[in-house]
Amino acid sequence: MLKTEELQINIGPQHPSTHGVFRMLVTVDGETIMDLKPVFGYLHRNHEQIAEQNTYLQNMPYTDRLDYFNSMANNHAYALAVEKLVGIEVPERAEYIRVLMVELTRILNHAGALGFLINDMGMWQTQLAFGMREREKILDLFESASGARLMCNYFRFGGVARDLPADFMPRLADLLKAMPGFVDEMERLLRDNEILMQRSEGIGILPRDLALAYSVTGPVLRGSGVAYDVRKAEPYSIYDRFDFDVPVGSVGDVYDRFLVRVEEMRQSRRIIEQIVAQLPDATGSHINPKARQNVKPPVGDVYGRVESPKGELGFYLVSDGSGKPYRYKVRAPSFINLTPLGDMCRGYKVADVVVILGSIDIVMGEVDR
Amino acid sequence: MSIQIERGAIVAVARGSQRARLPGMAMVDSMGVVWKHWVESFRKNRGFSDIHGTFTQEYPEEPAKIPEAYRNMPVLLYDDETGHELCTSCYQCARICPPQVIHMTQAKDPVTGKAVPAVAEFVIEYDACMSCGFCAEVCPFDSIKMDQVFELSTDDRPSLTVFKHDLGRPISYYAGIAPNLWAEAKESALKKLQNSIKRRPDVLGIAPHLTEKIAARRRELAAAAAAAPPPVAAPPADAPAAAKKLTPEEKAAKLAAMRAGKGATPAAPAVEAPAAPAAEPASPADEKAAKLAAIRAKNAAAKGDVAPAAPAAPASPADEKAAKLAAIRAKNAAAKGEVAPAAPVAPAAPASPADEKAAKLAAIRAKNAAAKGEVAPAAPAAEPPAAPLDEKAARLAAIRAKNAAKQPDDASGPE
Repeated sequence: MLKTEELQINIGPQHPSTHGVFRMLVTVDGETIMDLKPVFGYLHRNHEQIAEQNTYLQNMPYTDRLDYFNSMANNHAYALAVEKLVGIEVPERAEYIRVLMVELTRILNHAGALGFLINDMGMWQTQLAFGMREREKILDLFESASGARLMCNYFRFGGVARDLPADFMPRLADLLKAMPGFVDEMERLLRDNEILMQRSEGIGILPRDLALAYSVTGPVLRGSGVAYDVRKAEPYSIYDRFDFDVPVGSVGDVYDRFLVRVEEMRQSRRIIEQIVAQLPDATGSHINPKARQNVKPPVGDVYGRVESPKGELGFYLVSDGSGKPYRYKVRAPSFINLTPLGDMCRGYKVADVVVILGSIDIVMGEVDR
Repeated sequence: MSIQIERGAIVAVARGSQRARLPGMAMVDSMGVVWKHWVESFRKNRGFSDIHGTFTQEYPEEPAKIPEAYRNMPVLLYDDETGHELCTSCYQCARICPPQVIHMTQAKDPVTGKAVPAVAEFVIEYDACMSCGFCAEVCPFDSIKMDQVFELSTDDRPSLTVFKHDLGRPISYYAGIAPNLWAEAKESALKKLQNSIKRRPDVLGIAPHLTEKIAARRRELAAAAAAAPPPVAAPPADAPAAAKKLTPEEKAAKLAAMRAGKGATPAAPAVEAPAAPAAEPASPADEKAAKLAAIRAKNAAAKGDVAPAAPAAPASPADEKAAKLAAIRAKNAAAKGEVAPAAPVAPAAPASPADEKAAKLAAIRAKNAAAKGEVAPAAPAAEPPAAPLDEKAARLAAIRAKNAAKQPDDASGPE
């Protein structure tokens, strides 16, 4: 009888497949994962404490730096929380611009995330390059509207920083023309691809009840078959005005998460098309002129949440009536989605770990804050 | 499978294995996509709607396409014609700045000592700036704007603490990079500028590198009109200390005088300054270290604390560590509300290039302590053989300290 011995090894924190400084303490038996403990904290930069020293507005650019792929979504969640706390109205046009930006963010996030996922599977750079190219176009739009590609800092309390530039909508229309082609091509390239299916089907299964127990959200939860989307469950902003579907998986493996993300890009495009059709043409009402940026909310607490591309992103704020938040807490989807990693990896091979991790789609800036 | 929900459906995604396909066909399909891209990579991407072809931009050769709204680092605008800066030192930008990297002091009329809507010193620490653009957004005078120059790499970190002289950009420059944004702001900005100019005596508020030129021009005019009764405005060479670009010797002398005046006896009124001992051996580099020392002394004075006379310490480069240490200790002591002992080593002075950090740090800490109304640590002002690089840090420190000291007792000299 052959006797094997278990071995503890570290994957990361300095490892190209860990998407940042993230350590996995792995117990292996040969190639098989017996146990895996995710270890976070290497990118901790005191975000919440800093935020409590800042005024409410000063935190806006800091939220960009949480999940630096999706600064617009982070801005949105934070702006929603503060607006709810203070009671600020947002003009129609501003709402549309916001949702437009956030949905573009979702597309660019998924384009990038799927590229990285395929990268982790070994299809080195091909899909990543395609995804990054589409992402680049969206970043160009962001840059023309907000002034920055990644750290947009575009949202303000009661609206957005400035109105869309004149050439924004034509360029957006041009982009939307490319969008179905890009997604279709991506499906053609990958969806039925035998290699991808072998690397992802039945790998990293997160059963429905376990996903719920871990409070997982976003495409990971939907991949496990739970149709939970904050945009549908608690429609914020103007999401109740748009028709879009919630794609869900059935098995909860890497493949399902992949498919859910592909479908979400289509749905986001659908939303954007409706926005383009409905966008009120009232130039100048991009922000509520009565909204003070230097807010002093009444004493109280608030939880503002959005469906960020990675899951439910929430800001919990406690106000003591001063100009600075008394408590500022981020419910970071990446962080919570990462916690079941051990359960998802147990029993699979070492090579599957990076694929499973890639399918969760984490950004360490958000995990560690 | 799909379940109807409000405005949409819950759709189960179709897994690939559920579709009938000949084995291997999907791979052929995939290869087709890759092949197509390879072929198309020999031509240029036509635009946003095109998903084939390259859209590489040969960046250093081909200049980057930058949208008008692009923001990178803040700069200060001044008027092309008059040379007047739009800034009135209202402190809005300094207050809103999330990483708190903007510092300034208000200009004062050298005759009356009253505040003037102009800025005397203005510093932005580019190395800590997060390019959020709040300063430009909040500026009521449209004075601070976001530049679009992004090639800022340098191996000289101190150069990233940028002073007014290097922050200034003519309005025409900004109108060139952001025509639409400037067109929106233009009218009110220029109107406000005219108002400010009316309240600015002499050359206050003129961009530093134009000050000399404009002052000279005015002197010329004054000389031309010499036959007539002398015009009031003719600026004597020693008049507006803050706005004019002094020679380093002058500055060092002035600052030394301030230090002497304010450091020793806090309650005593400030010695009206620049009667400074020109005897002081001021190397160009000196001025800033001197200024730093002066400000520290001033802070101490403002707190009503007895600032010990500055121990003049000719410091060797090796001193810097000691200086740093002293600063940290002083700060710690101050934080505890203790009376800090006069720092025995002369920290301000001995500046090797690397020293500036220590100086800056010390100044910031002094400022923080001062802001808390605590006993400021004794400022160990030193006679300052400072290396050229030190000056910036010292100057920054000076401004900060000055701001901090301002509230209680404005023992301001001619600055």
